[in-house]
Amino acid sequence: MAVEESQESVDTIEEIEMDPSLVLDVKGLVTRFYTYEGIVKALDGVTVQLKRGDTLALVGETGCGKSVTAKSIMRLVDSPGRIEDGQVLFMDEDGPKDLLKITEDEMRHIRGNRISIVFQDPATYPNPVFKIGDQIAEVIMLHQDLSLDVVKNKIEDLEEAIRSMPEGLDYDEAVDRLEHYKSLLDNPPEPTLNEKKQAAKRKAIAMLDLVRMPSAAQVANQYPHELSGGMRQRALIAMSLSCNPSILIADEATTALDVTVQAQVLKLLNDLKSELDASIIIITHDLGVVAETCTTVAVMYAGVVVEYADTEELFSNPVHPYTTGLLEAIPKLTERIDRLKQIEGTVPNLINPPTGCRFHPRCQFATEKCANERPVREEVKPGHWVECWHPQGSMKGRK
Amino acid sequence: MAELEPLVEVRNLKKFFPLSGGVFRKVLGYVRAVDDISFDIYKGETLGLVGESGCGKTTTGRTILNLIPATSGQVLFEGRDVTNVGRGEMRDIRRNMSIVFQDPMASLDPRITIKKAVGEPLLVNGIARGYRLRQMVLELLEKVGLNEDHLNRFPHEFSGGQRQRICIARALALRPKFVVMDEPTSSTDVSVQAQTLNLMKDLQDEFDLTYLFISHNLSVVKHMSDRVAVMYLGKIVEMTPKDIFQDAMHPYSAALVSAVPVPDPTLRGRAQVLAGEVPSPINPPSGCRFHPRCRFATERCKEEVPELRDMGDGHLVACHYAGELDLGYKEVLESEGVKMEA
Repeated sequence: MAVEESQESVDTIEEIEMDPSLVLDVKGLVTRFYTYEGIVKALDGVTVQLKRGDTLALVGETGCGKSVTAKSIMRLVDSPGRIEDGQVLFMDEDGPKDLLKITEDEMRHIRGNRISIVFQDPATYPNPVFKIGDQIAEVIMLHQDLSLDVVKNKIEDLEEAIRSMPEGLDYDEAVDRLEHYKSLLDNPPEPTLNEKKQAAKRKAIAMLDLVRMPSAAQVANQYPHELSGGMRQRALIAMSLSCNPSILIADEATTALDVTVQAQVLKLLNDLKSELDASIIIITHDLGVVAETCTTVAVMYAGVVVEYADTEELFSNPVHPYTTGLLEAIPKLTERIDRLKQIEGTVPNLINPPTGCRFHPRCQFATEKCANERPVREEVKPGHWVECWHPQGSMKGRK
Repeated sequence: MAELEPLVEVRNLKKFFPLSGGVFRKVLGYVRAVDDISFDIYKGETLGLVGESGCGKTTTGRTILNLIPATSGQVLFEGRDVTNVGRGEMRDIRRNMSIVFQDPMASLDPRITIKKAVGEPLLVNGIARGYRLRQMVLELLEKVGLNEDHLNRFPHEFSGGQRQRICIARALALRPKFVVMDEPTSSTDVSVQAQTLNLMKDLQDEFDLTYLFISHNLSVVKHMSDRVAVMYLGKIVEMTPKDIFQDAMHPYSAALVSAVPVPDPTLRGRAQVLAGEVPSPINPPSGCRFHPRCRFATERCKEEVPELRDMGDGHLVACHYAGELDLGYKEVLESEGVKMEA
């Protein structure tokens, strides 16, 4: 776990230091929206880490800033929104980068390529007027150098032809051509646009296969409306994985799906994570999904990460009153209770958020201090961080 | 359960939606949304209805209220057949039944105040007007946790949870005996959901209500209901007064239950992932509708439609092999050390 206590900010781009076990290190992210009604303080110092090969959950209720965090990481916050402060350190292939400092051109290289995102509603995201396969191929053509793939595909085709020996094939010529292409493997020539397109299409079909799409070649030639919700979501996952990203962000990717289809998609994400050596951020409001799939959890409330811990630790030993309340408020299949515990009140308006701890008006343990001072982020156990003046739960009576 | 008096009796209810096409809008086929279902809802109970999208839950709820006419079959409300009464009589019956819809924003007119929205059923039925109406509306709003200040506000001035409570207040305005809750909490957050569910339980006790609780969320249905019915492609496959999580006997219910993500990391990976997706209700599979996705399916399942059979204590299952199958999820749970309550 990265311990980044002192704010060693104000560093030039070359001097970025990053824990090598992390792929993403978000520190003190502040995003605000300048609307007519006032300034919406959507993110107020969000700090989370994503370890290599982990699945991180950002969990919280509507309007707590889960999606804004994802968009800020991708630098996709639109006007009137502005990212005002903080660091988003990303471990790229050639060393760490602060995504908030690099140029838009560099960012465009990372977006969809090194970090990609799957959105919530599979009905609106694939462009309805293009075929699934073409849309995936577009991403591949944009981000990847396909010259090697073109040569490899030709070799594959020739080998296949030699094996099956169709009518009218000149064997000697085919072998000669095979040798020729093999010699090109080390230094592939620049392919023509047509060759590129074909190679990208082929790769797109391979991606659809990877996400366990039944009859992938056929689906590649279909339009989004011809697919069911679950299949569309798979196609989107294929699209976002097509460039081998090191981080995949799934923004409520399974929320619109039925439970049985959701189970399929979650299993798929888990399988692919190990196959492709990627790390995943799952954004969800469903604590069940978190428990089922994630290794680390960040609980968000009103633009702040209030608690951050391993999944097992968080569910067995929650210390922030909001986390405890949330866990007690969900009806569970495994037990029968007469009344659910409820958190009184509603999520605050972020134009005018409560002072001090943003949860204090709804918190049963709140004191004077909570109303005046923002809690300090502190580590109650190794790897278990909380932002609260009076952490409860099993940590009761700690101080 | 046998001594309980049924409030609503559903008999062989069917609802087919015609699919038309071509130049002359010829009927090409039917969407068999609800296909021959029968059940009773007893006075004072909550019957939960679960299933995936497109299985016919909502159509069932609306057909029972005669909001959409049934294709065939009967719905008896206190002994009177709702599907076959005149308009005047229907109006009379309708006072006793009510519905809360899924999306509270869509079911409230954005241009009229809460006072008018909640008071409308009272005004239309000639129950109250003027100051008396205002008092009654206020009383209703106070029951759902709103106050006098809210009376003259418009729907957009409320949060999602408050709007849903306004809808509940409106549904209860005529003091109905029976309320259909159609996915009342599916658009709300967890903390608001807990508030709404608790409120609905309190109101049920206070007004002696009978609920048909429709939801795709098994955990919520289990929490709210005395009995649970599981629907798949227009049919009820299982109906039980017991705990569906422990005692599911139909392979579909078992798979559905196992697929629900449980907020407990120690229970990870128990989902039985069903292959494929729900087939189209236009041309449902022959025999048992679940057979193409069922891992226990035999030749018999392809040909013979299973009837709902009583497996004891009012536990009805529509499977040829109910009770004989090893659904293989109990052992998993027990090995994980989950307490099975009696």
